[in-house]
This record gives sequence, structure tokens and C-alpha cells, in this order.
Amino acid sequence: MTKQEQLQGILRELKQALPELRSIVVASTDGLPIVHDAADAPRVAAMAATALGLGKRISQTTDLGMLEETIVRGNQGYFVVYAAGEKGVLAVSAPADANLGLIHLEARSFAARLAQIL
Amino acid sequence: MEPLKVVVAGPVGAGKSTLIRTLSETAVVDTDALASEDIGKPTTTVAMDYGTIHLGDQLLYLFGTPGQDRFDFMWDVLSEGALGLLLLIRGDRPEDFVPARRLLDYLTSRQPVPYVLGVTRQDQPPVWGPEEVAPFFGVPLERVVGINAKDPQSAAKPLIRLVELIAAEEAAS
Repeated sequence: MTKQEQLQGILRELKQALPELRSIVVASTDGLPIVHDAADAPRVAAMAATALGLGKRISQTTDLGMLEETIVRGNQGYFVVYAAGEKGVLAVSAPADANLGLIHLEARSFAARLAQIL
Repeated sequence: MEPLKVVVAGPVGAGKSTLIRTLSETAVVDTDALASEDIGKPTTTVAMDYGTIHLGDQLLYLFGTPGQDRFDFMWDVLSEGALGLLLLIRGDRPEDFVPARRLLDYLTSRQPVPYVLGVTRQDQPPVWGPEEVAPFFGVPLERVVGINAKDPQSAAKPLIRLVELIAAEEAAS
């Protein structure tokens, strides 16, 4: 199975595990989309990399330790960006009534799996 | 004197992060990520660089942008409230001049502030100098400064020019 197919497989599994997600984008840490189900993936990938990069730096500068995720919360939903190892970013978008705790639980473990492949 | 916020923009690899690291008197905030494209260097800025420098009594806050077009949303974010613009271009990469010119037009149309072009890699000939770059960009020669972004004295020159231009505009208004 190619890397791309493995990543597609993980994307599908994540969608099954969290059907409430509106979109999922896996990108490189420098902001290029790798696999996704989002209409506006190139733009979302770049923004996710920016959010993660800045989040990491804020976390370091303000002594928060290792970054777990960057969360953007609007009144209609969440956009959450997780590090997937050194090279990858996992970004998910969810509605406001989503269970954020469950999303973190699943997304963190999927991010760890993505990191293995990337 | 009020601190001046200056945006440092320009194409990827122009030397924006290098210049801010060379000049900053305080710990630099950088946001490097591993580059997955071949851009001639291992890492690239994904959000911003930030540093500070005094030029005489004048304190400058330097905000560096990411170079790739896909991060264009950061240009507006970082330009908010800026009072000056330093656009860096690599003197040995004329193929970057056209996109850099578009970038200059975009940024000065969004934020009509004084600007200076810094032409980097002057220490590594063959390289285009300010007198060749100025007519290409259609800007007065006084707004174009040749520099080596790794040399503190050289890297400060375009900022000194920028502060002069900002002072002159303030005096005129």
C-alpha cells in the first residue's frame, strides 16, 4: 500500500470514529495539503500550519511545555490543529455542539498514527 | 519617540528571517517548519518572525512575513497598524522580481506606508545592484538599498533609510 493510500485509510477511519467532523485536512508543517476531505484544502492547510507553528512558539515562550493542540473556537464551531510528528499537521473542523473531549481523544491518537507514516 | 512597527516582506528565501535574526536586540520569535518543497533551504517561516532593534532613539518592532503565496493571509494580519514596509528581494534571483513587484503593489495598496526595497546577497556576486533593481520596480533609487542580511551594519541600512523616509513624510504632513 502506498503512503497516500495508508493516509487515505486513516482519514476514512477518523471520519468513521468522529462522524460529526465537518472536514479533515492532513498537511505538511510548511502548509501543503497531503490528504483531506475539505473543499478549500490548500488554504486550510496553510492556515493550519500557521496556527500550529505559532501555537508551538506561544507554548514555548509562555512556558506551557509541548504543544498539544491549537484551538480556534467560533460561535458556530471549532477548528482544532494537532501536531502529527515533526512533519505533519492534522486539522479538523467540528460544529459548536460537538464533544471536544472525544475529538481530542480520537484526533490525538490518529495524529500519532499519521506521524508514523509521514 | 513612539515605537515604529515595520513589516519585513518578500519572496521565499529573500532573507527576511535572516535579517531579523541578524538585527534583533531581543530574543527572536520565529516559526520555522521543515520545508517539504525544494526551496534551497531546510526550513521556512509559517507564521511570522518578530524582533526589535533601536536605531538611535527610535525603537523598531520588526514583523517578518512568511514568503510563500499560500500564506498570503498573514500579510494582512501582520500589516495591521504597520508604519513602514521593508521588502526584501534576492539580488541573484531576478525571476523573483515580478512576483515581488506584485507583492509590493499589493502591500502598499492595502497599507499606504513608506517602503524601502532591500536587495540581498550583495556580498555574493554576480548579483543585481540597487541601480539595476530600482528601474525594474519603477521606484526612486533612494528607496532601494543593497545589503548583506547576515551583516548587522549592512542589514540595518534599509531600516535607517526607512526611518528617514517616515520622518520626512511626517514632517511634510
